[in-house]
Amino acid sequence: MESEPILVVENIKKAFGSRVILKGVSMAIRRGELKVLIGPSGAGKSTFLQCINFLVTPDAGEIRLEGRPIHHSRKRELYAYRQQVGMIFQDFNLFDHLTALDNVMIGLVRVKGMDRKSARERAMAEIERVGLKEHAGHYPAQLSGGQKQRISIARALAMDPKVMLLDEPTSALDPELIGEVLAVIRDLVANGMTMVMATHQIGFSRAMANEIIFMEDGLIVEQGPPSVILSDARCERTKEFCSKITELYGEAS
Amino acid sequence: MDELLFLQDEVVPALLKGLRVSILLIVPSAFFGLFIGILVGALRVYGSRPVVFAADIYVTIFRGIPLVVQLFIWYFGLPYLGIYLSPFTASIVGFSLCSGAYHSEYIRGALKSIKRGQMLAAQALGFSKFQMVVSVILPQGLRRALPGCGNEIIYLIKYSSLAYMVTCIELTGEAKILASHSFKYTEVYLAAGGFYLGLVSIAGWILHRLERRVAIPGFEHHRG
Repeated sequence: MESEPILVVENIKKAFGSRVILKGVSMAIRRGELKVLIGPSGAGKSTFLQCINFLVTPDAGEIRLEGRPIHHSRKRELYAYRQQVGMIFQDFNLFDHLTALDNVMIGLVRVKGMDRKSARERAMAEIERVGLKEHAGHYPAQLSGGQKQRISIARALAMDPKVMLLDEPTSALDPELIGEVLAVIRDLVANGMTMVMATHQIGFSRAMANEIIFMEDGLIVEQGPPSVILSDARCERTKEFCSKITELYGEAS
Repeated sequence: MDELLFLQDEVVPALLKGLRVSILLIVPSAFFGLFIGILVGALRVYGSRPVVFAADIYVTIFRGIPLVVQLFIWYFGLPYLGIYLSPFTASIVGFSLCSGAYHSEYIRGALKSIKRGQMLAAQALGFSKFQMVVSVILPQGLRRALPGCGNEIIYLIKYSSLAYMVTCIELTGEAKILASHSFKYTEVYLAAGGFYLGLVSIAGWILHRLERRVAIPGFEHHRG
């Protein structure tokens, strides 16, 4: 494994008015790693992920991709950076007016300037990769939640991201549909995708994550390998939270 | 019998002549009005502060001043500045700008109703704000604005009758001339009213077809 991290996030702070959400969060991730963010709602996991690709503009802090600091006020640089950082949302956010295929194609055509034919081929390849070839012509409203999330993963993958941010990708899904999405994510891990994922899927995290980061009140409370965080956490609060979600979400991955 | 002959020989030919002018007024005005409405509506939602301010002023003025007065300004007022518009041009300018102000309000409402997640997803893919509005927000927003904008176009068909106030003789103008010559106000205006009703019905039908055509699968309204 390389020693140089691909993405470094340093001392991110964010407040909405007088409400402080992030009080200085840092993280460094190496190529091919999966880091899992856990913590109670309101801990700032979602805001932290959105700060990483500047969907929320951090008040302070620095982000470096492959050693280069990102200046988010330079529009061109920002748009180019976002293409390299894929984002998966809890509620999918597929473009409602486009078919699954067009959802995956649109970024290739509009942002990457690819011609429609190559874009279509690339998009179909990604859709096949998530196992939804026969649904390519369907609109989001005609897909199940699990299928929507898999298409949204295909949409992000088509842009050839260097890092992917997943914001509770299975939280809006019926229990029966969670497995199909986790299978796709597991496949990404196996293929060496670098990912930061907020999730409550504790069994999955135990099996797949390189590191689990426990956040609360806008700060990282504790971080370490799953075996330590989930079974042998130093901090009392981490232990309490982990035993609660283990009870709730079980061991099955 | 006289009445029928009068209708056949005088009313219908005169009104058909007027109808032609009306359609020539309505079609470009609807087109330009909608174009202005989309532009101004989008600017009011996504523009910078000064742009929003300017767009709001435009809407306040053109929605606030009676259309007849606007037409008078375009036709009788501009010559003071050395600008001479034909009655036909003055009418189209007046209708387009007024219609655009109303359209922008429907468009603005529709754009604001698009979920934030759609924008986040576009931004996360690396879309610029302009690309995001054009490829993601407008295609969805315009579909939602369609019933309101259609309503505005129906209105336009009827307020196009004000063109005769600036001597652009369209359907209502022809009817007025014929009625005052023949003194058969009721018959002539009833016939003119029928023509407008026909125009509005056709426009309504086209708009309805369009709405059904662009409906997004899975989002159709299902009758319970």
